[in-house]
Amino acid sequence: MNHYFIHTVKAEWIKKRRSFADWLVLAGGFFVPLLLIIILICFPKQLLSIHASGHFWEQVFDKAWQMMAFMLLPMGIVLAVSLVVQIEFRNNSWKQVHTSPVPFASIYFSKLLVLLVMLLQLFLLFNIGIFLAGVIPSLLNSHTSFPAYTVNHVFFLERNLHYFITSLPMVALQYMLSLKFKNFLVPIGAGLALTTGALIALSWKYIYMIPSSYTALYYLQSNNPVPPAHNLLLWSLGYFVFFSLLGYWLYVSGKEKG
Amino acid sequence: MYCAETRQLSHSFSSHADALKSVNLQVPGGSIYGFLGPNGAGKTTTLRLLLGLLKIKEGEVLLFNKPLRKQRLQSLAKIGSMIESPSIYSHLTATENLAIYRELYQCSGQRIGEVLSLVGLSETGKKKAGQFSLGMKQRLGLAIALLHQPALLVLDEPTNGLDPNGIIEIRDLLKKLNEEQGISIIISSHLLSEIEKLVTHVGIISKGKMVFQGTLNELTGKQQQSSKLILETDDPGRSLEICRQLELNVISGNGKITLPVPSREKIAALNRELVNSNISVFEMSVIKKDLETIFMELINQ
Ligand SMILES: Nc1ncnc2c1ncn2[C@@H]1O[C@H](COP(=O)(O)OP(=O)(O)O)[C@@H](O)[C@H]1O
Ligand SMILES: [Mg+2]
Repeated sequence: MNHYFIHTVKAEWIKKRRSFADWLVLAGGFFVPLLLIIILICFPKQLLSIHASGHFWEQVFDKAWQMMAFMLLPMGIVLAVSLVVQIEFRNNSWKQVHTSPVPFASIYFSKLLVLLVMLLQLFLLFNIGIFLAGVIPSLLNSHTSFPAYTVNHVFFLERNLHYFITSLPMVALQYMLSLKFKNFLVPIGAGLALTTGALIALSWKYIYMIPSSYTALYYLQSNNPVPPAHNLLLWSLGYFVFFSLLGYWLYVSGKEKG
Repeated sequence: MYCAETRQLSHSFSSHADALKSVNLQVPGGSIYGFLGPNGAGKTTTLRLLLGLLKIKEGEVLLFNKPLRKQRLQSLAKIGSMIESPSIYSHLTATENLAIYRELYQCSGQRIGEVLSLVGLSETGKKKAGQFSLGMKQRLGLAIALLHQPALLVLDEPTNGLDPNGIIEIRDLLKKLNEEQGISIIISSHLLSEIEKLVTHVGIISKGKMVFQGTLNELTGKQQQSSKLILETDDPGRSLEICRQLELNVISGNGKITLPVPSREKIAALNRELVNSNISVFEMSVIKKDLETIFMELINQ
């Protein structure tokens, strides 16, 4: 498999070039920061209070994630994953991919890897956006200047890593669904129903078992001084592995391959 | 030696009648095999099973004499295919499309330029494949199939939607590939006339069953067999008797007499007897069926 994997990953990477999913990552990374920039320019009191808090970067980061974690990130994942898989259905290209001399496992895991790299790209862009959302309004406001506060690197790396891990189950779940249904309204509908459903049920006592709630739950946990009752990171990793393997099995055992 | 073969291959899609019934497809190495049949006959289903795109339920597929199950990747590496519509990423250029398959088949980057010029798409540059005409897409599909210099090409109605010029161009290209590089080709079509000038072997499928398989010569042989001699005289009754005396099988004898074409000597003898018996012969002619008619008869039987 190793000998094929590098080639299938390269092929998948070319495939998503200039695709709609690629643009979605770009737009998704900067949407919330842009919103935050507008808010902080229009409501300078908020900006001043963040400056006065002594935790400037932590607060900007937190405000951005508040908007991102509840709806936008899970929905963005649902859309982007479905769009990437849809590339094959829409172009009738599964038959060509599946008559190429590469193992099914290699195809399946390359696509999954590309999806994870796209998620990583989204996180990178989002963090750049957060940085700009701290800098731009501060420079434009006459009472504040460049936020030259020290940055707690460990804090930001750790939070990002945790958000990344809590995003993983939705990537794998949506990947599984998208591979199964040719009509992409089905997986997108299912994914969106799962994310909105999770938001509505956020205070349910078994919500920790619903993977579409994990980024929102993590946001709440990370702002709650009480230690969490359930380890979301472990649940996330568990679901990720489970959905990835189940998705692989469903994919390989499919009767029609294009 | 067959480069592709199916044994008692049957298939049914859930809840439908059988799409294929015990198909024994035999494609000799080095041949151009025309796989003919009307729409819905089962051509695409057969080819999808051949390439492992459908799970085999009954029967067996052999590629290069090896069961498909055992040597899938090794066999696929030697096959180029285009099934139904070409598989083309519409948001990418022709070169980018080929770059994807270059990775999957692990061939040199140089091949991309070679196949593009082979199918006449070298000049498309940054144009996205989605903006190509149907004929250009078809040719890009062919370029993908040819990229890794396969030993066997499987083309499912590759000239669908092409203009007459395009059809001739592709036909010439396939002929050249077969003659110069010895590539075996399976090409399906619902029109005999379209591939008659190209193929060496023919398989005819109708309603999921193979109704003819053999060389093109054997098919034209059938043409000879089904030719008829028509005889019109002023005395059908006595003419019939003379035919019987000469031991000729008469197919029908009311008015005009129809019989299978006898040997040249028998025709001469028949003519002599008729004249000697003072019968006026108005017409004595051989009616040849064209291949298309034979094809139609085979698929309608
Ligand atoms: N995916 C499918 N599901 C159900 N029936 C199918 C499917 N594909 C083909 N068929 C049926 O199988 C038969 C053969 O179709 P096909 O192989 O596409 O014929 P051809 O390629 O010769 O036109 C047809 O009756 C068609 O309706
Ligand atoms: Mg067909």
